[in-house]
Amino acid sequence: MAGKIVESVVMTENNELIDRIVDRYDGELGMLIPMMQDIQTECGYLPVERLRSLSKRLNVPLSRIYAVATFYSSFRLAPKGAHEVTLCVGTVCYLKGAGRISEVICKEFRIDPGGTTPDRLFTFQAVNCVGCCAVAPVMLVDGKYYQGVTPESALEILYGLAPDETTADEQEGA
Amino acid sequence: MPTVTIDGRKVRVKKDATVLDAARKAGIWVPTLCYHPAVVGDASCRLCMVELDRGEWKQMITACNYPVRRDIVVYVSSEAARKARQGVMELLLARAPDSEELKELAERMGVKGTRYPKVTESQRNCILCGLCVRVCEDMIGKSAIGFAGRGVDRTVAAPFRQPSEDCIGCGACAVVCPVGTIKVRLHEDEQQVEISPFKSRVKLVACERCGAPVVSELVVAEALERVELDSEQLRERMRLCPKCRKSKTVAGLADVAGRNRK
Amino acid sequence: MTVVGNLRLNGVEDLERMREELLACRSPSSKCVRVCMGPGCAAKGAARLYEVFCEAAEQAGGEVEIQAKSVGCHGLCECGPIVIIEPGEIFYQRVEEPDVPEIFRETVLGGRVVERLLYENPDTGEKALTAEEIPFYKVQKRIALAHNGVIDPASIEDYVAEGGYTALAKVLTSMAPEEVLGEVERAGLRGRGGGGFATARKWRSCRQAKGSPKYVICNGDEGDPGAFMDRAIMEGDPHAIIEGMIIGAYAIGSRQGYIYVRNEYPLSVERLRGAIEQARELGLLGRHILGSSLSFDIRINRGGGAFVCGESTALMASLEGRPGEPRAKYIHTVESGLNGKPTNLNNVETWANVPAIINRGGEWFASIGTEKSKGTKVFCLVGKVKYTGLVEVPMGITLRRIVEEIGGGVRDDKRFKAIQTGGPSGGCIPSQYLDTLVDFDELTKLGSMMGSGGMIVMDEDTCMVHVAKYFTNFLQKESCGKCTPCREGLAQMLHILQRITKGEGEEGDVEVLEGLAELLEGTALCALGKTAANPVISTIRYFRDEYDAHIQERRCPAKECRGLFRYEIDPEACKACGICLKNCPSDAITGQKKVPHVINQEKCTLCGACWEKCPFTAVLKV
Repeated sequence: MAGKIVESVVMTENNELIDRIVDRYDGELGMLIPMMQDIQTECGYLPVERLRSLSKRLNVPLSRIYAVATFYSSFRLAPKGAHEVTLCVGTVCYLKGAGRISEVICKEFRIDPGGTTPDRLFTFQAVNCVGCCAVAPVMLVDGKYYQGVTPESALEILYGLAPDETTADEQEGA
Repeated sequence: MPTVTIDGRKVRVKKDATVLDAARKAGIWVPTLCYHPAVVGDASCRLCMVELDRGEWKQMITACNYPVRRDIVVYVSSEAARKARQGVMELLLARAPDSEELKELAERMGVKGTRYPKVTESQRNCILCGLCVRVCEDMIGKSAIGFAGRGVDRTVAAPFRQPSEDCIGCGACAVVCPVGTIKVRLHEDEQQVEISPFKSRVKLVACERCGAPVVSELVVAEALERVELDSEQLRERMRLCPKCRKSKTVAGLADVAGRNRK
Repeated sequence: MTVVGNLRLNGVEDLERMREELLACRSPSSKCVRVCMGPGCAAKGAARLYEVFCEAAEQAGGEVEIQAKSVGCHGLCECGPIVIIEPGEIFYQRVEEPDVPEIFRETVLGGRVVERLLYENPDTGEKALTAEEIPFYKVQKRIALAHNGVIDPASIEDYVAEGGYTALAKVLTSMAPEEVLGEVERAGLRGRGGGGFATARKWRSCRQAKGSPKYVICNGDEGDPGAFMDRAIMEGDPHAIIEGMIIGAYAIGSRQGYIYVRNEYPLSVERLRGAIEQARELGLLGRHILGSSLSFDIRINRGGGAFVCGESTALMASLEGRPGEPRAKYIHTVESGLNGKPTNLNNVETWANVPAIINRGGEWFASIGTEKSKGTKVFCLVGKVKYTGLVEVPMGITLRRIVEEIGGGVRDDKRFKAIQTGGPSGGCIPSQYLDTLVDFDELTKLGSMMGSGGMIVMDEDTCMVHVAKYFTNFLQKESCGKCTPCREGLAQMLHILQRITKGEGEEGDVEVLEGLAELLEGTALCALGKTAANPVISTIRYFRDEYDAHIQERRCPAKECRGLFRYEIDPEACKACGICLKNCPSDAITGQKKVPHVINQEKCTLCGACWEKCPFTAVLKV
C-alpha cells in the first residue's frame, strides 16, 4: 500500500517537470532535443520514466526519443558522478599528448571514456575539441579550465576532487 | 514525361519517378537492399549506385531515390557503377558474412567474396538497412523499433533494449528484412508470438474452431479498428485460422450454390 | 552604461539618435581597460583578471571615468591573457593578477607604459606598444573579426556605437531584396563553412523557391577539432551574426531564423541568447523591425554533441528533433530543407561578413582576395607554431606567410613537416606547397580544402600515418552510421591504419586504403563520408615514404608510433641521476652512481616514462 502511494507522488512530480519543460517550448516537436537537454540538466541524466512521460505528452514514439538519446553524445541514460571531468582530445590536444592523459586517467581510475568511477566521484568524458587549442592540452573539471595538462597534473587534479555532490551542482548552476 | 536513357535503352517515366523505377520499367536489374516499394526510400545501403551522365562529368547517384525531373542519361552497367556497387557489397559481406540472402545477392552481382575482415559487430547479420524501422513507422504506425546509437555502434532496437510495449507482433519487420535478421517465432505452448531479436511477445488468438494459433491479439484489435467496418462476420473470420477460414468459406459457397440450384 | 533602457526603436532615425547619444556619452578623457575573455585567455584566468580590474576601476572612481570591459577573443591566444588599455591601445600580454595594481597605477592613471608586459619580438628584441606593431597582427585584415576584442559582446550599445545595425538600416530604407542579393553577388562572398558555395546564388534560389514559410539558419555547430573561429565570433561579436541574418532574411523573404550552436559552447549560447533578447527589446528582431514591414525572429538550438550535425541536412534533422542523419541532397535544401520548407543555411563567419559588405559595398569586398575567392578568411592557427591563435587574413595570402610571419614559424627549432587545413576531412599539405595561395580552389587542388578554417601545423616529430589514423578514428566515431561506405569503409580503413602503426602492415595495404578511399568518395551519402578519406589520401600522396617505412621496415620515421622505435640512453648526456631508473615501471633500466644508465631492450615496454622524466634529454628515441 505504502509503495503505491510513493509511486503516485513520483509520477505527479514527474509529470509536472515534463509539463513545465514542454510548455517552455510551446510543445513544439522541433524542440525535442532542447527539452531533453533540460530534463538532463534537472535530473543529471535522462531517467527512463521521464522519457516515457515526454513521449506520452508529445505523442512522439518512445523509439524516436531513445534514438535521439543514444545518437547524441551529450545525453546520458545513467546518473553521472559528483564531478564532471572533460578531457579535450581534439587534434591539437591530442598532438600534445591528450591521448596519453586519457590512457593514464582510465587506467588509474579503471574507467572508460564516458564512464563514471565506481564511487561516483566523477564522470569522465573525452571530447573532440573545446576550442582552447592555443593552450592545449586542456581539461575541464565542473566547467573550470585547466590548461597545459600533463598526465601527472591531471591525476593530481582528480585526486584533489571532493567526494561532495553539492559542489559539482553548485558550480554547474553558476 | 521525361525520358531516361539507361544503358542506351530509352524509357519515359512520370516526373519525380526514381531512376530505379525507370530501370525496372526498362527491364534492367539494379540490386537493392534498403529499398521497398511500401516505404519511402532512405538510400542508406548504397547498393543501387549508378552513374549519371552530366555531360562534362559523371556523378554517382543512388537509383532508388534520385528523382527524374528532366531527360537524363544513366549507366547501370558502366565499369565505375559496377565497381561501386561491388565495393559496397564487399563491405556488407564483411559485416554480415553469414547471411545466406546476402551471399545469394552478391553472387548474382558477380561478387565472389570479400577481401575485408569482419571489423564491425552486427546483430545476427543485420546490415542496418532500416527497412524494419521504416515499415514499423510508416506502414504499421507503431514505431516499436528504431535505430539506437551512432556510427559502428548503430543497431536496430526497441527502446532501452527492452521488449517494446508498442509492438503488436505483426511481423511486418520480419517480412521486409532482406537478410533474415528478424524472425517471427511462435511459442505455441504459451500461445505467444515473439519478434526476434527484439524479444517482444504478444498473445496469440487461437482459432475458434481448431484451436490453432492464428494471429496476435493486438493485430486483430488493430485491424478491426482500422477497417472501421465492424461486422460480426469480419470479427468471426478474424478469429479463425486460415485453414478453418477457407473451409468455412467453401462451406458457405456450397451452401449458396445449393440454394441456387434449388 | 545602459542608455536606452527599454526604448524601442521605431525607425532608422531612432537608431541614429541612439548612436549619437552613445557617442556623446563618451568623454575624451575616459579610460578603458579591455580584458580579452576569449577561450584561450579565459583558460588562463582572464575572468578573475577582469573582476580585479573592475574592482580597481570602482575604487579609483572620481574625476576620470574608468571602465573595465570584457571583450571577445583578440587573437594572440599564445600570449594570453591579453589586456588593452585605451587610450593608446597599449597591448599587454601574459597579464597576471599581481600585475593589475601596477597597470592601474602606471598606465591607466599615470599614462606610463609597463615595459615588462609588452610583447617582445624574439628576433629583434624590439618591444611592441600596440597590436599593430606585433608581426602576428601585421599581415592580418579584419572584417569578420573587426569588432572582436574591441566591443563588449554582452552590450548592444557597444555594437551600435561602433556602427552596428547601420547595414540593416541601409537595407530597410534604401535597398530592395533584389539589390541586397546583387550586392552580395558583387562581393563574391562564398560560404565559409567548408563548401565554398556562392552565397548570393544560394540566397536567390531560396528566394525563388516555392513554399512558405522560408527559414534561414546559422550553422554554429563548429565541430572541427583545432578550430574555434565561429566560437570566437559568437562570443565576441554576436550582433554581427544577428544583423547578417536579418539582412539575409529580408533578401530571401523569411520570417523565422535558427542558430544551431554546438553543445560544447555554453558561453556562445549565453552570448547569443543575450544578444537576441537585447535586439528584440530594441525592435531589431520581432515584428516590424525598425518600424518597417519586415518581421523576423531568431531561435537558438543547442546541439547534442554530434559532429555530423555540421552537415546541413543533418543539422536540419536535428532541428526537427531527430537524430542528426544526413539525407540525399538531390533536392536542394533551398527548395526543401527544414520541415520540408525552403531553407537557407550559412555558417557563422559567412553571416558575420554580411553587414560589412552592405556597409562598404560588394566591390570593396571583392577588391580583397583572389579571382574566385574574395574577402578574408578567419583561421585558427594551432599546433607546433610559435604563436597560436585566431587570425583573419585576406584570401590569396600564401600558407608560408601565415605559418612564418603570423605564426612565427615552427616552435622549438623543429623542422616544418605539414600544415593540415580543412578540419578532419581536410588534408595535409607538405612544405613544398607552402607558397600555395589561400583560395578555395587552390587548396582543393592539393587534395585538402579550405573547410571552416582550422590550420594545424605539424613538425618533424609528427608521424603522418599516425595523423591519418587519428582523423580516421575521429571520423569513424562521428559517422552517423546510416550509410554503408562511411560506417563500414571507415572502420576498415581504421583497422588497416591501426595495423600499420603497430608494425603489422602488409604489402598492398596502401592500395587497399586507396581503393576504399575511392569507394567512399563515390558512394557515401553525405559530404562527411565523401571527404572522410582525405586525410588518408593526402598523407599517402605526400608522405608515402612514411607508410612504406612502417610497412616494409617496421619503423616509424617520426618516432611516434609505439613499438616502431626504441629508447636509448645517450651515455655522453647521461648524468646518472637515477630519475629514469626510479620511474621505469618494468625495471628495464640499470645503472649506478656516476655510471651512465642503460636500457635493457628486452625488458623495455616502450612506455616512454624515462624519456618524459629525464631532465637532461639524455633518453633518445632511435
